[in-house]
Amino acid sequence: MDEVATKIVEILRKNMKDPSKTITLETPLSDLEIESLDLAVIVFDIEDTFGIEIPYNANEEVEAFATVGSVVERVQSIIGENKASGAAA
Amino acid sequence: MVTGQGVVTPLGTGVDKFWAALKSGACGIREVQSFDTEELYITIAGEVPDFDPIERDLSKQLRLADKYSQYAGCAAREAVTQSKLDMPLKDNEAYRAACVIGSGIGGITTLELSYKMLFKEGKRATHPLTLLKAIGSSASAHVSIEYGIKGPTFGVVSACSTAAHSIGLVYRMIREGGVDMGLAGASEASLNWGTTRAWQAMRVLSPDGLWPFSKNRNGTVLAEGAGILMLEEYEHAKERGAPILAELMGYGTTSDAADMVNPSIEGASTAIQMALDDSGLAPSDIDYVNAHGTATAVNDINETRSIKRVFGDHANKLSISSTKSMHGHCLGAGGGIEAVAAIKAIGENYVPPTMGLNEPDPECDLDYTPNAGKDREVNYAMSNSFAFGGLNAVLVFGPPPA
Repeated sequence: MDEVATKIVEILRKNMKDPSKTITLETPLSDLEIESLDLAVIVFDIEDTFGIEIPYNANEEVEAFATVGSVVERVQSIIGENKASGAAA
Repeated sequence: MVTGQGVVTPLGTGVDKFWAALKSGACGIREVQSFDTEELYITIAGEVPDFDPIERDLSKQLRLADKYSQYAGCAAREAVTQSKLDMPLKDNEAYRAACVIGSGIGGITTLELSYKMLFKEGKRATHPLTLLKAIGSSASAHVSIEYGIKGPTFGVVSACSTAAHSIGLVYRMIREGGVDMGLAGASEASLNWGTTRAWQAMRVLSPDGLWPFSKNRNGTVLAEGAGILMLEEYEHAKERGAPILAELMGYGTTSDAADMVNPSIEGASTAIQMALDDSGLAPSDIDYVNAHGTATAVNDINETRSIKRVFGDHANKLSISSTKSMHGHCLGAGGGIEAVAAIKAIGENYVPPTMGLNEPDPECDLDYTPNAGKDREVNYAMSNSFAFGGLNAVLVFGPPPA
């Protein structure tokens, strides 16, 4: 796991009932017993850690939040976009 | 008995205006006007339009109060005027009257502006009235001063069930003989930058609109206002020839004791059942349910299942609607404003619509009165309030006694 993934797993563990569970990139978030409110807290924590904004609405099913790996990918792509727009400016 | 009612809503101030707007399917949700939405991605809300405390002729004390107290004062005045009670109350009556006007969060905009002055603008002190404006009991205190109400006076707090709990509580005070009458309801004026930011962080708001029970619903929309009833013991009302608008017949309240945001079918359906039992009515007697209907993914399904659990086959014969589709989610005040909608439905034999319901969620399969209100004989109506924390309060109204 790269640095982004490691940090995200750390954030996930903080919000899990049982932080000792094994987490891989393939682990579905549903396996981590994360509920909607936890997810809002996690998204906030990720935004704060990486200085980004993640569009997320708890009322909608979002594919980006299916597995740990998909969250990491989404975050990496937002970081990438921010860098690109920063370079353009 | 309900002998008066008053509202301040995003659809207008005053019951007549409010009801006309509900009948026409109007929408009180608009781009935010009262504060700068810079850096917010939620930029819509149900703000009360045209509310100038001076034009509304509020007392000097209310003019200096937080907006949430001003809304309460305005709604209470309408209820008091309609009840034809002789105000201020004489001492023999004053201690026999209650004033329970709650708020989800009180004068939080006063606090926000004060903290901005202190922390951002480096001011040395806050305005001397800051504390009195902010406290969650100031609306009830102000209204008790306006009308000389000297009996039980305080605020109730239960997030989006605040008004329904307040109304239920005064109803029980009257039934127990503790008071003869009382103002009951709630007021909310928490729309500001910080509150929106906090709600935004919960990820439950829609950036577009509030479409209850719809497949396309994507969250709720914050709103503000006040909804207040004058409740009165039957003999007391009859003796003075008061206009009786409706009878408050039942109140049920439960707590899920489970989760802060995910509602339970058990908690909601038990509250509905308790309210029915309290009213002495059978499920099949209910004609109209003013649903909590917040347009969040979880509420609308949970509420639909709860209604089905209690009403069984009759669930399909109910007219249901969420008037939040028009006035937005008025938070603590919601149950008071919606109680007025239920009472008007009885008085006018008319069911207001759920707007924005073109394609229902397959899991929401009851008659939500989509997109157009309709004439229907409404004898008995129910109003549901289900709050964060799993706090449920349900009211049942019926026609004035023959």
